[in-house]
Amino acid sequence: MLIPRRVKHRKQHHPGRSGAATGGTKVTFGEFGIQALSPAYVTNRQIESARIAMTRHIKRGGKVWINIYPDRPLTKKPAETRMGSGKGSPEWWVANVKPGRVLFELSGVNEEVAREALRLAIHKLPLKARIVRREGGE
Amino acid sequence: MSEKLAAELRTEFGKGYARRARVAGKIPAVIYGHGADPIHVALPGRETTLAVRVANALLTLDIAGEEHLAIVKDIQRNAVRQAIEHIDLLTVRRGEKVTVDVPVHVNGEVAAGAVANQEAVTVSVEAEATHLPTALEVSIEGREAGQHVHASDIVLPQGVTLLTDPETLVVNVSEALEVAEEEAPAEAAAEAAAEEAPAEAPAE
Repeated sequence: MLIPRRVKHRKQHHPGRSGAATGGTKVTFGEFGIQALSPAYVTNRQIESARIAMTRHIKRGGKVWINIYPDRPLTKKPAETRMGSGKGSPEWWVANVKPGRVLFELSGVNEEVAREALRLAIHKLPLKARIVRREGGE
Repeated sequence: MSEKLAAELRTEFGKGYARRARVAGKIPAVIYGHGADPIHVALPGRETTLAVRVANALLTLDIAGEEHLAIVKDIQRNAVRQAIEHIDLLTVRRGEKVTVDVPVHVNGEVAAGAVANQEAVTVSVEAEATHLPTALEVSIEGREAGQHVHASDIVLPQGVTLLTDPETLVVNVSEALEVAEEEAPAEAAAEAAAEEAPAEAPAE
């Protein structure tokens, strides 16, 4: 699971959710990719789950790239706790994904297998997404 | 060979004008090259979108009765809607040699037990502006692991010169790795790490 080795601040403000992705919007490494169509906080567990879904489906061969990294901590106060007494403890690590961002890329398998693998991966993610192909591809 | 498009000269600039032009079904564009001053134009949206679907499209622009030959240098698209927002065009002359990046298309299936990974998606070539290749084909049919494809292995059309280093790896053919085996331990380790993760993070 993806987790930062060390961070400068344990508790951060919530990452901004507005706007669209300004970079990482094209398929760069692989042949196919998953592009976000809505904003979301994608946790490291969801990233890992999507990766496993993809690699299990492609079985042999193929290469998967993960283009996002869960570098933002989100905190949570324990249940049935009165308000105040400081910020809650870090609970999740998330990647702040904005519309247009390519999250995963895949290559080395035929189109049918790639699309099914990516479809399975999209179901593990908390956002609307579509499958995109590299520009200039066949 | 080249697509003919009627372009309008732009007198207004900036995002305000550009947004109004896009709403009106036009695409803002700029033409530059050969040391001349850049020309700002608006192109018809639908025709332009169809014309630039191929890489290095050659366009003949009719600007106030004057014909300009240009190739597409760069296209800015909306990341979500994929609509073209702006196009950079490079002026060319007939017979002039230009340097362009041409996409490489990989055909065929590698031998059983091997997996192909395309390392370079484009190669840089020099060709006559009016005869630019839209794509270069390379076959990996039946290739075994280790039989890589280098830039020098690509068959180029007549009049096209390769500028990319001939030793550049284009398609890497390697042995397929079993992914199922590595999954189990990775999962277990990940589970353990997840429980500890937030608490482990060092204090400010």
